Amino acid sequence: MLATEQSESRGRTRFILKKVLGSLLTLVFVLVFNFVLFRIVQSDPIGSLFRGRNVPAAKIADLRTAFGLDESLWVQFWAYVRQTFQLNFGISYQSRQPVWNEIVSAIPATVALVGISAVFSAVIGTIGGVIAAWRRNTWKDHAITSGTMVFYSMPDFWLGMILLVGFAVVLGWFPVGGMSDAGSTATGLALLLDRLHHIFLPALTLTLAYLGEYALVTRSSLLDVMGEDYLTVARAKGLRDVVVRNRHAVPNALLPVVTLTAINFGFVLSGAIAVEAVFSWPGLGKATADAIRGPDLPMLQGLFLLFSAAVIFFNLLADVAYAWLDPRVEGA
Amino acid sequence: MRRTVVFILFALFGAAIAPAAFAQEDAGVVLRIGLTQDWETLNPTAGFAVSEYEIWNVHYATLTDKAADDFAPIGGLAESWVASNDGLTYTYTLREGLKWSDGEPLTAEDVAWNVNTSRDQEWDNMLSTVINLDAKVIDDRTVEITSSVPDPKLPNMDIYLVPKHIWEPIATDYDATVEYEALDGVGSGPFVISEFTKGQSVVMVANPNYWGWEGETPPIDRVIFQTFANPDAMVAALQQGELDAIHGFPAGSAATLEADPNIEVVAGRQGGFDEIAINGGAVVGQPHPALLDLEVRRAVSFAIDKEAVIEDLWFGLAGPLETMSPGADEAKWIPEISADKAFTYDPDRANQILDDAGYLDTDGDGIREMPDGTNPIILRHAVNTDGDLAGPIGELFTGWMQAIGIGVELASYDQDALFGVIVEGDYDTFFWGWVPFVDPDPMLSYFTEAELESYNDANWTDPRFEELYLEQKVELDPQRRIDIVHEMLTILHDAAVYIPMYLGPDLQAYRTDTFEGWVRQPADVGPVMFSNSSPSYRLLRPVGSDAVGGSSDGTNWVLIGGLAALVVVGGALVVTRRKSTADDRE
Amino acid sequence: MTSLAMQRRRATAGRVLAQFRSSKPGVIGFSVLLLFVVIALAAPLLADVRELNPVFARASGNPQWASPGEFGALGTDHLRRSVWVQFVWGSRVSLFVGLAATILTISIGSVVGIVSGFVGGRLDAFLMRITEWFLVIPFLPLAIVLASILGRNVWNIILVIGVTSWPSTARLLRAQVLTVKQRLFVDRSRSLGAGNGHLVARHILPNVSGLILANATLAVPISILTETTLSFLGLGDPSSPSWGKTLEEAFVNGAMVRNAWWYFLPAGLGILVVVLAFTLIGRTLEEIADPRLGQSR
Repeated sequence: MLATEQSESRGRTRFILKKVLGSLLTLVFVLVFNFVLFRIVQSDPIGSLFRGRNVPAAKIADLRTAFGLDESLWVQFWAYVRQTFQLNFGISYQSRQPVWNEIVSAIPATVALVGISAVFSAVIGTIGGVIAAWRRNTWKDHAITSGTMVFYSMPDFWLGMILLVGFAVVLGWFPVGGMSDAGSTATGLALLLDRLHHIFLPALTLTLAYLGEYALVTRSSLLDVMGEDYLTVARAKGLRDVVVRNRHAVPNALLPVVTLTAINFGFVLSGAIAVEAVFSWPGLGKATADAIRGPDLPMLQGLFLLFSAAVIFFNLLADVAYAWLDPRVEGA
Repeated sequence: MRRTVVFILFALFGAAIAPAAFAQEDAGVVLRIGLTQDWETLNPTAGFAVSEYEIWNVHYATLTDKAADDFAPIGGLAESWVASNDGLTYTYTLREGLKWSDGEPLTAEDVAWNVNTSRDQEWDNMLSTVINLDAKVIDDRTVEITSSVPDPKLPNMDIYLVPKHIWEPIATDYDATVEYEALDGVGSGPFVISEFTKGQSVVMVANPNYWGWEGETPPIDRVIFQTFANPDAMVAALQQGELDAIHGFPAGSAATLEADPNIEVVAGRQGGFDEIAINGGAVVGQPHPALLDLEVRRAVSFAIDKEAVIEDLWFGLAGPLETMSPGADEAKWIPEISADKAFTYDPDRANQILDDAGYLDTDGDGIREMPDGTNPIILRHAVNTDGDLAGPIGELFTGWMQAIGIGVELASYDQDALFGVIVEGDYDTFFWGWVPFVDPDPMLSYFTEAELESYNDANWTDPRFEELYLEQKVELDPQRRIDIVHEMLTILHDAAVYIPMYLGPDLQAYRTDTFEGWVRQPADVGPVMFSNSSPSYRLLRPVGSDAVGGSSDGTNWVLIGGLAALVVVGGALVVTRRKSTADDRE
Repeated sequence: MTSLAMQRRRATAGRVLAQFRSSKPGVIGFSVLLLFVVIALAAPLLADVRELNPVFARASGNPQWASPGEFGALGTDHLRRSVWVQFVWGSRVSLFVGLAATILTISIGSVVGIVSGFVGGRLDAFLMRITEWFLVIPFLPLAIVLASILGRNVWNIILVIGVTSWPSTARLLRAQVLTVKQRLFVDRSRSLGAGNGHLVARHILPNVSGLILANATLAVPISILTETTLSFLGLGDPSSPSWGKTLEEAFVNGAMVRNAWWYFLPAGLGILVVVLAFTLIGRTLEEIADPRLGQSR
């Protein structure tokens, strides 16, 4: 008994360790990839840093040293890795501020918007999926399945444009963009209400856009589970339909949904680029859209690294969560 | 399951509504202004955008001010001045007890130091004003400014005076100066910079030491400038009362705004114009070789349909223009261009010019080649992503050029990147605009050799233009100076490197129910803000005696209503849910 | 032998076709798609391409911002251009980019997947490592970064989509190839001395082709949506107006505050309908290729 537990936990530790190592390797790959893109494909990184402004020669020489441009590629790469780990992504062309500062200041808005939407879409989508599976081939199933498919098939920003025209332009119920009233000085409750007022439409857009995936995954996962024996047994024991569903079927079917949620959280930071642009929501997505207009390459580079790191991290988290939740995973 | 969700929804919205105890804090009287341009820097020695000039207009008082009606020099920091008999020296007397916003005394030493330092250090934005000047402190309140040549601009002294006690340590080094962020918040105007968030806002607070308040409490506590990436959002914010005034809204929204009884629309003219510039190839980056031929540039000019732009993109709000206005007084500075020389839209004539000059489409692909049959004429047209007309103009330009067998490749840059591209000469054509100063000198200086690789965005020079530029600079007879300027502009026009499209008004709108006292500069035709010295800011008062400007709480009720509706729906769901459970039990 | 194989293949094709015909979603999707393909191919007959040129539109006296009742089927935009013409020609670019990018995606994915699954060993481990890496890199930001660096034209967009979206295809195909490889008849033919090329051509490809087709059909929507998003963010080809570019221009030029719904609804609906059509076809093909999916989903 004791021995089994030990070996089980050892297997699990090994599994997690392997996943951590894999993630680190992926991170290294992203770094190399980024380096190739921005230092090799893009010629003259220093020149593009100043875009034609008169810059003293001494300063250019300093930067060449800092970037290691006169050294071998290996030295350059090493300098780049060092800078990256010091969170030094260079200076944004557009704001003249360190890219890292710009990114950090945009994170909360995105986390709030996409976080709220992710939670709502996961919850509502899962419920929808459960209903659809449980009432398979009824009108409820068809309505939910086709409805979510439609939302899933449209460009999310287009949905945003329609909601914006309908609810903000025509009806005037919501503001047409931004995170707060222009020049608002509100505090406390007024501030909170102001934020809610502004976040409503973009959050609704993203929630509707993400719903479909959760509903479809939940539905098919639940249908798989429902075919399994123990449910028949549970039903045979005379348990009510709802109890069977909520106590037995759903929890088992939710495993892939949990994984999906964790993975989707990795995409949270990068998930709303075009939608943030439509609603002028001042988060990472709008920062990306603005950087494209520049083009502000250091900013794009920094954002890309951050987005990738977030995905890698949450994938790892999903794996670890899976290892804890699913007893079948053992040192695989 | 669903019950849990409904509960979570309840909790969320409950949390949003519960802390009702925190009432909205009294933020004082706030004037909120929206604009679509961003700020690059608030450093008056480094920036060049209209948005930046407006902040400086408010933050820095100048030695002499400009009358709202006609730009005539009036008292600013100086209450009076006298000219010497030869007209070369002016002695200014400062007002009594002047102070910077941080309480340091503002003296003649500050004025003299600014004039002499900006001249010696060649600060770009001040240089054309101070290049021939020398300033001497007589006493704390008296400064003497002498010009080495006759100077038609004097006694006007409108350079932004930066606080010597802050700037002196960095002013010895040009690079350190232009890289300074200038967020020290020390100024001498009605409001001073308190916060700057690039891409979002500049917050300015009342400066109790501003001489123009005349010892009274400033009627406005704060001015917030908010920039909008989306001009439509800005228009909506004004309509919903989130803003008190907006600058630079899209012409297409004018009719909607005019229909609003609480909004006044102003199409302010102050010489502002937009142009399509052709790379003249004077230095550095070279254009397509065809553009070095005057005939090709003339053909391009004839193929541009300015009327279409005025009608379709400005809805008739802009005025026709053949050559630029170098100063704010359009009637005074714009020369008459004879009909036979004017580039009136005529694609047939443009085609004829190109045919005659030997630029033929030899391979039949619809695009002309150089006379030797090589190198098809494809122009790299730069689109400024910060301007709302640059996109449509890019589409139109492509169409115009297509009609005369010239190809166009569009490349997009934001304003700052475009500046870099222009300085490097890495373009063939672009569309951008200027708002000139009162005096034509700076605008004219941009087409001289000294400004190549900087403000000379035609990348073009001309020896005669150069001569005339120096002549007008020292011409004291006003009519004679106007004639010289007219001749210069005719030369520039005939070279077909800079094609002014129209006299574009500043489209502004303000709410009439929050603040009053907006003044147009110049009188009757000018804008109410973003003008040469922007006098509105010190004259504005909240409407009614104890009105607290700007903020409106109305919108929140919509949300509260919406939340209440959601709660009701949520409650209904719970009830239905209970009912169906009960059904199950039976 | 050859004729027998051909007969067998023809029979399989007939069975697939029959199965497809009996699936309502599949038929609907196919009909809708056919309609759009016809529109795209017949664009020169349906709409005068010169109408895309604002100078021509003005010269022909089109009104500005006209609603569908006032001008043509779908009204006009801020530059007097007919929205119908933009819709028709936009379908061409959107479908072309979607299909071309998919071909690239599927080619890369298939080669990697088949090689990886068939050869196995170290090469497999190496290829799968790379596949996993690409799978992890967030797709849209990568596409944005690549498009920003490479520049704005149709071929770059196709390249960007192809390069960023192949990994899932590769993984799926590898799994399928492994299954096929396990099957006895592969071993038998190998023992009879068949070469690797023969194995892949005769046994692997026929068995994974259905999956490749289903996967390709499901990859098109992703390609189209990606092109749309890239165009909307200003990375589209300025000289090839796709549906995404129409949406961008409508957004930038104030169609929304004007409530000029006719400017941005058609392009978005076009995308929605085409994406749905491809999804329906893809799912039907998937069910046919992998009958296990058929029953419950």
